[in-house]
Amino acid sequence: MIQDYVMQTGVNILLAWSVYIILLSGSLSFANGGFMAIGAYVSAVLTVKFGVPLILAAVLAGGVAFLFGIGVAFPALRTRGLYLILVTVGIAASVRAMLESIDYVGGIQGFSGMSGASPWHVVALVVIVGAALWLLSRSRLQRILDAVREDELVAASMGINVLYLKLACFGAGAFIAAVAGSFYAHYILFVRPDEFGILASVYIVLYVVLGGMNNLWGALVGATIMTLAPELMRGLAQWRPTVFGLLIVVLLLVRPNGLLPFRIPTTGRAKRRAVKP
Amino acid sequence: MIAKSEPLLAIRDLNKQFRGLTALDGVSFDIAQGELLGLIGPNGAGKSVLVNVVSGIYGATAGTVSFLGSDITRLPSYQLARLGIARTFQNIRLFGRMTVLENVLVADKRYLTRPFRSLFAKGAHDDLAAAEDLLERVDLIEKRDALAGTLAYGEARRLEIARALAGGPRLLFLDEPAAGMNEREMQELAAVIRSFRPALDAIVLIEHDVALISELSDRLVVMDSGKVIATGKPVDVFADPRVVEAYLGVEECDD
Repeated sequence: MIQDYVMQTGVNILLAWSVYIILLSGSLSFANGGFMAIGAYVSAVLTVKFGVPLILAAVLAGGVAFLFGIGVAFPALRTRGLYLILVTVGIAASVRAMLESIDYVGGIQGFSGMSGASPWHVVALVVIVGAALWLLSRSRLQRILDAVREDELVAASMGINVLYLKLACFGAGAFIAAVAGSFYAHYILFVRPDEFGILASVYIVLYVVLGGMNNLWGALVGATIMTLAPELMRGLAQWRPTVFGLLIVVLLLVRPNGLLPFRIPTTGRAKRRAVKP
Repeated sequence: MIAKSEPLLAIRDLNKQFRGLTALDGVSFDIAQGELLGLIGPNGAGKSVLVNVVSGIYGATAGTVSFLGSDITRLPSYQLARLGIARTFQNIRLFGRMTVLENVLVADKRYLTRPFRSLFAKGAHDDLAAAEDLLERVDLIEKRDALAGTLAYGEARRLEIARALAGGPRLLFLDEPAAGMNEREMQELAAVIRSFRPALDAIVLIEHDVALISELSDRLVVMDSGKVIATGKPVDVFADPRVVEAYLGVEECDD
């Protein structure tokens, strides 16, 4: 039971970070449920039908999603704001529809036969991705991404290749979502396309919005709370979804910018030096 | 050796249409190395459109722009910036949720061109000295850790300039940097512009204040309705009846 919680929370943290990474360059993606599905299915096919070891399969699935993410983001990034969000919703919907119509992976019936993932895989991944994001948050790249997110036109006029960075973020976000999806599929043992629909994507975005979008901790806290809160509310029986929904509404009213809304300046070292003697 | 006579920037027959509306109509002029060129004209003359086309924010409908002899008309904004063409924005556009210091540091070209290198670069710290020196010169050093969005109007204007300079540009377009400033602030701005002028190959200053622009500019280009209507030394240009007419309205002195 506790293993299930660790697994579910870890996967959701990784998914929340996959949205956060894309958001770093200013795009809100509702496609990550789709990227996760690609990871789950590609890795499942690799392990079940070709006997590829799980970790290698997860990395390869991440690579496929990376290329897919860049491939769909390239035309999608011609749009902005709300339109881009709608395009990402469309991406999630088409991935699901695509998987439902491929008989090779079981179509609407789903796909099974995979196994071998443990919660510790996911815990290790959370540590690795978290460390990478922490490194990023102290780097100049973070500052450059912040500039793109603040005002991409001005960022470009300073010499920043905005499209390149946005594509890189989409690719990286898709990679993380797919690796998370790979381990999820090999833990849950059975996947169906409708698990990865638009609602899944909405939930992932919700983790980040509720947690806070300006630092890596927001997504982590948001995903953890949103994963464990429904479990803690089991006693509420049939009222659970209602109370859970109300909890979201209340959180958004009380903390409209998320639980941890702060942004950490990228000049941490410099700031310390500035302290008066 | 580059011949002294080769212009830094050559604009030829530049044309910009917005759905049939002509914003630039056959604009041609050179920006010489070392000069401070004043660009003036009434509102809607096309000055800002010209800067937007030259800095790659809008594509040109027709015509060419060349930088040191090479055609840059179709280059995207970020490549123009990397060549050394910088600009400020008429409606201040700072990165409001970043600190004053970060606004300047982000322009460091060494990392803009290879952003992912900065993830792993060890020992290559921010060039804090250069950034702080720049903030010192625009009198913002005290505000270095304040969020740019909290700056007062005049401070924000100065930070716009500091940020544009931080990338070490060769050619700088200042789009109405003195807009909304009082006399004293304008004099401070003039001093700032003079102080960094030697570090640049050329400056183009868009400004409405006749006294300020006459004082700073070596040469003026006057635009009206998307066309260049006069060029020359400030004294000559302001004696030109066409300029007087464009600026002061039709025949105001006529009894």
